[in-house]
Amino acid sequence: MTPLEILAAAINGDPAPRIPIFCNLLDQGARELNMHSQDYFARGECVAEAQLRMLKRFGHDNAWSLHYVGKEAELLGCQKILFADDGVPNVEDFVIKNWDDIAKFEVPTDITQHQAWQAIDDCLSILRAEIGQTHAICAYVTASTTLPALLMGMDNWMELFLTGPVDLRDELLRKCVDFFHQHINALRAAGANVLIYSTPFGSPYLVGNKIIEQIVLPWMKLDLQPGGVDDVVYYCGMAPFNGVIDLVFDQLGITSHYISPLADLAEAKRLINTRGLTCGVIDDIKMIHWTEAETKAEVKRIVEIGKQGGHFLFGNGVMPLAVPEVNIKAMITAAFEYGQLT
Amino acid sequence: MLSRYVQAYNEAVFETDKQAALAVVDGALQDGYSPEDIVFNLVIPAVEAMMARIEQDPDSNLAQHFMTAQIASEVTERMLEKFASPPEAIGKVVIGAAYGDLHSLGKRIVIGCLKSLMVDVIDLGINIRAEQFVDRAVENGAQVIAISAMMVHTATGENGSIKVRALLKERGLEDKIKLAVGGAPYRFDPELYKKVGGDAWAPDGVTAAKVIIQLIKEVNA
Repeated sequence: MTPLEILAAAINGDPAPRIPIFCNLLDQGARELNMHSQDYFARGECVAEAQLRMLKRFGHDNAWSLHYVGKEAELLGCQKILFADDGVPNVEDFVIKNWDDIAKFEVPTDITQHQAWQAIDDCLSILRAEIGQTHAICAYVTASTTLPALLMGMDNWMELFLTGPVDLRDELLRKCVDFFHQHINALRAAGANVLIYSTPFGSPYLVGNKIIEQIVLPWMKLDLQPGGVDDVVYYCGMAPFNGVIDLVFDQLGITSHYISPLADLAEAKRLINTRGLTCGVIDDIKMIHWTEAETKAEVKRIVEIGKQGGHFLFGNGVMPLAVPEVNIKAMITAAFEYGQLT
Repeated sequence: MLSRYVQAYNEAVFETDKQAALAVVDGALQDGYSPEDIVFNLVIPAVEAMMARIEQDPDSNLAQHFMTAQIASEVTERMLEKFASPPEAIGKVVIGAAYGDLHSLGKRIVIGCLKSLMVDVIDLGINIRAEQFVDRAVENGAQVIAISAMMVHTATGENGSIKVRALLKERGLEDKIKLAVGGAPYRFDPELYKKVGGDAWAPDGVTAAKVIIQLIKEVNA
């Protein structure tokens, strides 16, 4: 079976030789090609090449299209990203500097014509041609209720979201929904077949259940309804969300859930059961200092909780650059070893 | 009795309803309670109640922490202008986001809570070099340097807390200035603070205020 078929089997509960194994190596690609991250992310063909090389070396089931936090902000007018030598890029210039800017803020008519889109398209076209029929090609889409954090800073957005004028908040969210639709459609058209729906405001860790149900959920529905959710994974930026899993099933229809390492995985598996895919996620920040044996032991623990009854995937968060490669190898080796189903 | 205001205020904060919380404060003022009463018997106990609540229920949410801090600092600022005499600060903190880190939410929560708890706060902002942290702490006689880092590389990198610790050691300041760290990476690895040279850490902004006050007390002891 191909990795894509193994993933489909896990989602549908069909027989397969093993569980699917995701390894998210977004920032390691620059190191792989011995490039600075700014030059690396500017060239989609380099990102694709690095993803393919790492896929070959580690043997996991997914590759990543070009992504860093702030890429969406660039598509929406951000002029400055802070690229680090040792970590993830970061938005340095906010598109919305004060509430008055919201009225002036405009979503491009066609983001695929934006200069910042070209590298994503280049990357995806190579990945689609090389592994589109066999592997998961992941892309990251930020929910409309979280996008403003990239545009104006998390604290300013939190302030507007919780205490600001509702009409102004909703004006910004409407624009973000417009962008979201364009973005997810463009990613699908370019070849992404697993869409990681990043929605931290859909986690009870960030806001209370009442706010999720009354404010966040309606906007998530607007995000997702036009295109469907078959290829969508619910992800709250590593924040726990067990408390809303039923709500997500009932109201959004999303069946794949990327569970936080801080959450109770056994509880999540019970809640999701055979209705969908439980993704058990290792705490890869701890992998910076773990030994290979500690890494393998944690993989074993996670897989043993999750794989009973099928419908389970093993993965990591966003692998920090400081994690030694031996631990990445240990993680994947252990996931193959303990994730056997036959 | 102020107690009924305390309950209403706490509920408003817990529900992240800023307008309701401010209305409670206005009601208490109209009923003749002093600005000192409002701060010491309403706002500070509410921050402490949120601290206790977080200890019992680690799943309390970020919006509650944010609103606790925002409301507390706003009310405290308003009331301090009306105090008969300015209250004595219990200590001084220099705070900022680590070098390369542009996130300010966590820092803002910590600052809001500290101000309402009568701690002098010198906010250096974001993307702060290690030398700046130490120099400004020395200049201001701060007992604590607090460093927020929301990304793994800014928490663990050589130019962040690790360098601040090295500078404190090099300048013989480790007994006079303590180092507190916080931010998302520390939640995922609770032992991380030791590896980056921190004296203490906190899993959230409200608890951070409590931890920092404890460090101030240790230095002042």
